[in-house]
Amino acid sequence: MRDGRNVIRRRRAILAGLIVTSVLLLTAYFGEGSDGGVLHSISSGVQTALSPIEEGVSRVFKPVRDFTSWVGDTITATGQNDELRAEVASLREQLAASEVAARDAGQLREIAKLDRESGYPVESNPVTARVILQPPTVWYSTIQIDKGESAGVEVDQPVVTAAGLAGKVTATTGSTAIVTLITDASSAVSAQIMPKGLRGIVKPQVGDPDDLLVDFIEKDATIEEGDTVVTSGSSSSRFESLFPRGIPIGEVTDVDPAEQDLYQRVHIEPNADLRKIDFVRVLTAEPADEVGV
Amino acid sequence: MKTDPSALVRVTGIVVATVLLQVSGVGSIELLGGNFDLIPIAIAAIAYCAGSVPGAVTGFAAGILLDLMVGREVGASALPLIALGYFVGRYRELRDPAHGLTPVAVVAVSTAIYLVAVAAVAFMLGLDALISLLVVRDLILTVFLNSLLALPLFWLIGRTLRPSLHIDPFVRRRRRGRPIESGPIGLRGLEV
Repeated sequence: MRDGRNVIRRRRAILAGLIVTSVLLLTAYFGEGSDGGVLHSISSGVQTALSPIEEGVSRVFKPVRDFTSWVGDTITATGQNDELRAEVASLREQLAASEVAARDAGQLREIAKLDRESGYPVESNPVTARVILQPPTVWYSTIQIDKGESAGVEVDQPVVTAAGLAGKVTATTGSTAIVTLITDASSAVSAQIMPKGLRGIVKPQVGDPDDLLVDFIEKDATIEEGDTVVTSGSSSSRFESLFPRGIPIGEVTDVDPAEQDLYQRVHIEPNADLRKIDFVRVLTAEPADEVGV
Repeated sequence: MKTDPSALVRVTGIVVATVLLQVSGVGSIELLGGNFDLIPIAIAAIAYCAGSVPGAVTGFAAGILLDLMVGREVGASALPLIALGYFVGRYRELRDPAHGLTPVAVVAVSTAIYLVAVAAVAFMLGLDALISLLVVRDLILTVFLNSLLALPLFWLIGRTLRPSLHIDPFVRRRRRGRPIESGPIGLRGLEV
């Protein structure tokens, strides 16, 4: 009987010990802050040590990922065919308008002697990196890339894909970096809705990476479906993120004026498919100038 | 309490391999719009085979490793996984189910509880964002996909741990039948 009680006591003590240790570790981690400490150093060490294996595993699984992705895309594409035909026609019209606008902008640039280029920020020294680790749950949207401090990657640098903004670097080791995506719950990006230039904050909806929200847009402002959303170049003081101006984020899909009283909430679909990223570019230098849009 | 070094090596191997596979490969494979999550399956399998204390300790280790690898708050994943390992182990110790499909039910329930617990911890740590209803769809899909992997992974982990276990998980067992009713003096046919 006494042995049985001892077993129960020991089992409960171990369980309590593990829970208390976890809570203490959590407290210590938060206590270290973002400047780092023992736990951050251990985390960096583990990431550095395991990054070659992670990269290998990631490469091994790439064909499987591509296959399942292809199957999914094929099913989706069948349904989107008609929709895409209409979009192509619309884009042709927009292209013609853009070419005219680009020529006008070129002339204006020459007049103003501005050193600007269309597209991503110039002289930002982009470093291309492979994604070697994906987020384990929808509650945390972070990825790990195979470039770190040795390649010039530093905390707070913007990360983009070929399609648009992906996120920013939040931790680095010598050979790897953690990127917090714009779909992470902690993310907030100052943005402008073009062509009217309305300013707002892009925030994610946890669990739905295809639907971001632009908050703090004045209720009276008129926003059209299909308007482009780009980074505004200023930082939100609360989150201290800093993205150069003009990086595309997404397109407006819906406007819901009834959700809030003072502001309307704009739904956008991100340009970058953040669930299927294989490569990203880290903008490792501050651009010499803002981009022209 | 004695710790068998070979058991430690086997469990460590399973935990490291599972976490690595999950974050580097399997987690990004999208099927039917959802993703597999190997970690709760592995912890449930270890706890099911080895018991509540090894289950809780393994859950703790897996959670810490996961947090260190993804650069997250250390301990955040450990809490749900400790609870998962402990309760699956206790279920096995108390009920000792013998049905062949029990792992499927165990994995389905474990995955659902684990995902809800992860969400609860995220809120506890100060989640500041709107939550989409698609979270529920993801949860259901992950539970379904994980259930598909339950039997093969329980088999694989059972085989790996087999030499270190007190009770062989592959010995066919039958639940003990109800005792035959008898009379007060223990002779059938003379019941009062």
